[in-house]
Amino acid sequence: MASAPAKPAFLAAASAPRGYGGRGLIYAFGRGMLDKESVSRHRPTMVGGALYHLAIFVALGYVLWTALPVRTSPPPGAFRPALLVGAVVGLSLFVKRAARPHLRRLSCPDDFFANLFVDLYLALALAHTFVPALEPALLGASVLLFAYIPLGKIRHCFFFFYTRVVFGLHFGRRGALPGSGRET
Amino acid sequence: MDIARSARDPYDEKLDSLTDADIAKILAEFRRRFKADDVAAVHTCVRCGLCAEACHYYLTNGELEDVPAYKLNLVLGVFKRHFTPVGRIAKGWTGAKRLDKALVREWVDVLFGRCSGCGRCTVNCTSGINIQSLIRAGRGALAAAGLVPPELQSTVMTAVERGNNMGIPREEWLETVAWIEEELQAETGDPAARIPVDAKGARYLYTVNPREPKFFPLSLLAAAKMFYAAKESWTFSSDHYDVTNYGLYSGDDAHAGLLSDRLVKAKEDLEAEALVLGECGHGFASTRWEAPQWLNKRFPFPVQSVLEVAAAYLREGRIRLDPSKNKKPLTLHDPCNLVRLGGVVEEQRYLLKNAVLDFREMTPNRQKNYCCGGGGGQLSMTRFAKRRLAAGRIKADQIRETEAKLVVAPCHNCIDQLTELSKEYRLGTEVKTVIEVVADAIVLPERGSS
Repeated sequence: MASAPAKPAFLAAASAPRGYGGRGLIYAFGRGMLDKESVSRHRPTMVGGALYHLAIFVALGYVLWTALPVRTSPPPGAFRPALLVGAVVGLSLFVKRAARPHLRRLSCPDDFFANLFVDLYLALALAHTFVPALEPALLGASVLLFAYIPLGKIRHCFFFFYTRVVFGLHFGRRGALPGSGRET
Repeated sequence: MDIARSARDPYDEKLDSLTDADIAKILAEFRRRFKADDVAAVHTCVRCGLCAEACHYYLTNGELEDVPAYKLNLVLGVFKRHFTPVGRIAKGWTGAKRLDKALVREWVDVLFGRCSGCGRCTVNCTSGINIQSLIRAGRGALAAAGLVPPELQSTVMTAVERGNNMGIPREEWLETVAWIEEELQAETGDPAARIPVDAKGARYLYTVNPREPKFFPLSLLAAAKMFYAAKESWTFSSDHYDVTNYGLYSGDDAHAGLLSDRLVKAKEDLEAEALVLGECGHGFASTRWEAPQWLNKRFPFPVQSVLEVAAAYLREGRIRLDPSKNKKPLTLHDPCNLVRLGGVVEEQRYLLKNAVLDFREMTPNRQKNYCCGGGGGQLSMTRFAKRRLAAGRIKADQIRETEAKLVVAPCHNCIDQLTELSKEYRLGTEVKTVIEVVADAIVLPERGSS
C-alpha cells in the first residue's frame, strides 16, 4: 500500500496537534491561574501577590485620574483601602524575601529594589490622597517608574502575559492541559 | 558536588581544563538556541520561589540548588550577562552571571544532576515559564563543548553508531523477533500468527525500546498479541526500531534529530501509513513533538503512541478484554514526557479500567503526577544515582499509599526506576507496561472468525 499523504505536506502541521491551543489559552488565563501548587501550597503569598498587583493598577488608575484635566468621581478616598493594602502587602513580600534564606539567596538586588520602589510608590499615592500638594512628587515618581520598566524586573508585567500565552498555546496544542485535549 | 569525585575521573579533568575557546563554544550554541520565547522567560521570572515544592529533588533534599527557579536562573543569568545590555552593564544588580569554569561545573551538576526534565515546575510556575525546555537549552550548550556526562553521551553514541541504544546486533534482534513469533504462535494456538519484519505497505511501523528485546521480550509478545487480536497490518523494521532518543536528554539536537529521522525514513522506506511509538515516554515526546523542529520538516503522516492505537482498538471493538484475568490491585504511573508534556492522559486509564478489576489512582495523578526520577537521562548518569534514588522517595510514597501490588507504567525508563524504587523502599510491587496488562486480559478471537 502506498503511503501518499492525504494532503500536501505544507498543510499538515509539523506535529499534528492532539489538542486545542485556544483551549490551552483559556486554561492558562482561567483555571490554570489557580490550578497549581504554587497557589495551593502558598495561599497567603498568592493572595498577597494578587492584592499587591491589583493595588498597582489602582495606583496607576489613580495617577491617571489625578492627571486628567477634569476631576470627577470617584473621590480620592475611594482609592485609599486598595493603596494601603497594596503598600502593606508589598512591604510584607519584601520582608519575606529578605527573611527566608533560600528566597534571599535566589534573589538579586533588583528584586528588592523593584519591590521597594513600588511599595514607596503605592505609599506616595496613598499620601497624595490626603495631601494634594504631593502631586509633583507623585507624577515624578510615575515617570521614574515607567522609565525603570524596560530596565529592570518590573518589565515582567508585560512578559508575564506573553509567557502565559505561549504556555497555553504550546501545551494546549499537545492536549496536555486539562480540558485541552481532543476526544479520541 | 557529586561530579568532583576523583582527580582520575576524565570527565572531571575535562571540566578542569576548559579553555576560553570551549566557553566561547558553549556561549555560541547557547545563544543560537535561545528563541523569542526563551528570551521572554529571562524577563518573566520574578524569582518568587513558589516552584520549589513542585520539584521532587527539592522535596527530598531541600537544597537551594534543587529549587527550579535556581536552576532556571543559572541559565537565564548567563543569557543576561552575555546577551543583554542591562546584564552586561549591571550584572550584579540583575543576577547576570559570567560563564566561567566554575559556573560550567555548576551547570553540569545542576542541569544534569538535579533535574529529570519532568516539567512539573513548568505547570506549577506562576508565570508558566517552560523551565525544563530552558534547562535542556543549557544542556545542549554543554553538549556543544563535549561536556555531556560520559555515561549519558555513550548511550547517545551507541544509538547513533550501532542503530539502537543497547547496541543490539541486527542478527540478535531478528532472532529475538523470530523467537517471540514462536511464542505468539504458541499463545494464540495459531501457527500462521506472524511478527512481520520489513513488511512493505503495512499500516503501522511499530517501534520499541531496545530494552524490550534485550531484557523484556515478553513486552514484544504483548504488543504482538494485541496486534494479532486486532487483526492489524503492522511491521517492525529490521534496522530502525529504537523508539528511544537520548539526544532529548543530552540536549544535542543534531543527534536527536538524526535518531528521529531514522524512524521517519524507515517508515517511508516501508511505505507504512503511520509511525507507532512503543511505551516510552521520552521517545514519544521526542518523535511526536520535538522531532519536527529538530529536523525542520513537517510530518505528513500520523505519529501515535501505542496506547492511542490500543484504546482505539478497544473502542472500535477490535479487541475484547476480560478484566477478571487481572485481579491484583494495580496503580498507574504517569510518565512525564508522555502525560504532562505529551498529552496522552486518558487512553491508558481507559484501557486499564477495562483490563483489570482493581484500578487505583495515585494522588496526585495525570498532569500533576510526580516524576519517578528516572527521566532526564538520570538512569544513565550513574554518577548521580544516589540523588535519583533519594528523589524517587516521593514516588515510592505515592505508590505505597495506594497499597497496590502492581505498578503499571507506559515507559521503560520509568519501569527501571520504579523497579529500583520497589527494592530501595521495600514496596514489594511488581512493575509492568500497560500493553502487558492489556495483553493479559485480551480475549483472543475464535480461530477462523472474521
